[in-house]
Amino acid sequence: MKESTVMKKRRKTVSPVIVVIYVFLVLLAVLYLAPLLWMLSVSLKDNAGVMAAPFALPEVFHWENYSQAWSLGKLGVALVNSTLVCGVTLLISLFFGAMAAFAIARMRWKLAEAAHTFFLIGMMVPVHCILIPLFVRFAKLGLTNSRFGLMLPYITFSLPMTIFLLTGFFKSMPGELIEAAAIDGCGIYRIFFRIALPLCRTGLFVSGLMTFVGNWNELLLAMVFISDPAKKTLPVTLTYFVGPYATNYVQMFAAIIIAIAPTVIVYCLFSNQIVEGLTTGAVKG
Amino acid sequence: MDKILKDKKAIFIFIAPALIMFVLILVIPIFQMVYYSLCDYAALTPPEFIGLANYKKLFFKDSTFRIALKNSIFFMLFSAVTQQVIGILLAVFLTNIPKGRNVFKNIYYLPSVLSSAALGLLWAFMFNPKIGINQLLAQFGIKGPLWLMDSKGFIVLPMWVIAFVALWQYVGQNMMLYMAQITGISKDIYEASYVDGASKPAAFRYITLPLIRPMMVTSLSLNCIGSLKFFDLVYNMTQGGPNHRTEVLATELYAEGFNYFKYGYASAISVVLLVMCLIVTLLVKKVIKVETYES
Repeated sequence: MKESTVMKKRRKTVSPVIVVIYVFLVLLAVLYLAPLLWMLSVSLKDNAGVMAAPFALPEVFHWENYSQAWSLGKLGVALVNSTLVCGVTLLISLFFGAMAAFAIARMRWKLAEAAHTFFLIGMMVPVHCILIPLFVRFAKLGLTNSRFGLMLPYITFSLPMTIFLLTGFFKSMPGELIEAAAIDGCGIYRIFFRIALPLCRTGLFVSGLMTFVGNWNELLLAMVFISDPAKKTLPVTLTYFVGPYATNYVQMFAAIIIAIAPTVIVYCLFSNQIVEGLTTGAVKG
Repeated sequence: MDKILKDKKAIFIFIAPALIMFVLILVIPIFQMVYYSLCDYAALTPPEFIGLANYKKLFFKDSTFRIALKNSIFFMLFSAVTQQVIGILLAVFLTNIPKGRNVFKNIYYLPSVLSSAALGLLWAFMFNPKIGINQLLAQFGIKGPLWLMDSKGFIVLPMWVIAFVALWQYVGQNMMLYMAQITGISKDIYEASYVDGASKPAAFRYITLPLIRPMMVTSLSLNCIGSLKFFDLVYNMTQGGPNHRTEVLATELYAEGFNYFKYGYASAISVVLLVMCLIVTLLVKKVIKVETYES
């Protein structure tokens, strides 16, 4: 009885605050969406139209901007390169990361905690710090200007986050399943591949997406390691539009949209999983 | 059972691939970097040991480095304060509204997953005096400043612009982490406090804030390290200009290392960057822990 009156009272007094919050949230949402929509609008105009009225909607849709940006910026090649580098990195870092996380979270050894800390320290190291030594070493080994050479640091720097998230997931997994399998005579490798990995699908999915998105957007390493235009990744290709094509705004914007489209699509499809998985992993870990 | 989980050979096989990659590509290069930083080393000549000369030059002679250091520290402090405060605020708002939580959440988080190289180009264009925001301001009779060209003041205007763009792009991440932590707090605690007559702000102060403190360590460390090593937006918005006034540690390192090929000197900058990251992380852990003990 008392509780319900308290609740009623609260709802009445709070509602104007809620309205103010909604107004704020909507304005903020506009601040987030407007630049992106504006970019879309500019990418469909011609250069004269942009200079005359940058914020007006395009009168005629210039779809050819996209095809020109595609061929001028060599975006097709860059898209293939990015997909290849990020895809392979994703698979390997997930596999290596899952193995290490499983050993840390589930197996019994004295140094498990130390190993966990060791890998987590990797999160504190900026990739810039190894740029020069790695570049020198790789130049000697012929690994610069090679997509494989770019994958190696990508994999390494994806491992801390992957191990961090997956250790959380493996720890929260019910131990009875592993025990039961072990009693039934299942070997440790079968336990890992047949029980632990499939049970950890959400974790793999989330850390996979994080890895993929992070590497997809990575600029500095890709810029330093790759100079052959045929091997460049998308973010590097975009920096072209800062220089020689800087005045060709419409194509630059078309190129930006092509470059971010894959992440936007992935995000729209999986946003809830990304968010949930990321947060459960981070909170548990 | 125990025997299977204590299998030394299996543990080794599980850990080895990650460990080997880590040692080869992260640990060894770090030691090499420290060594290079003590050397005179241009790309084509072999490294020659010169002691602390690089560091002396960095801290006492190099005015560009001082600008970069100043900008990076400003950028870190600005990001840490604004992103934490706004991140927590948004998380509290979104967990308290009855409807539309997911829509807003997804909108605010979206730029975090997009390429900051691409968004940097977009914002550079937006702040271009001839085309972007200034045109909009001109319609109201306001003459906008040269957003990305101005070079007056202790922290130049372009640096503020970049810091705000970074806030726009990354605040969603902090919001997300805090939302996860807040939704994890049991509803009963809040209901009990309301029954006892607590107001919403009081509940925020005495329930939410103390209980999200563990997340503050994670969020704040990621925040600080992320802003110390910041590169993409600066590179695509100003390229360190005008006249090196928006240089940050990462762009300065890139310029010294790969435009002028001063590997030794650039390594010294990396060492400074790494040390700053480690100090900040330890500081964050320590400060927030102390607070937990006090309350």
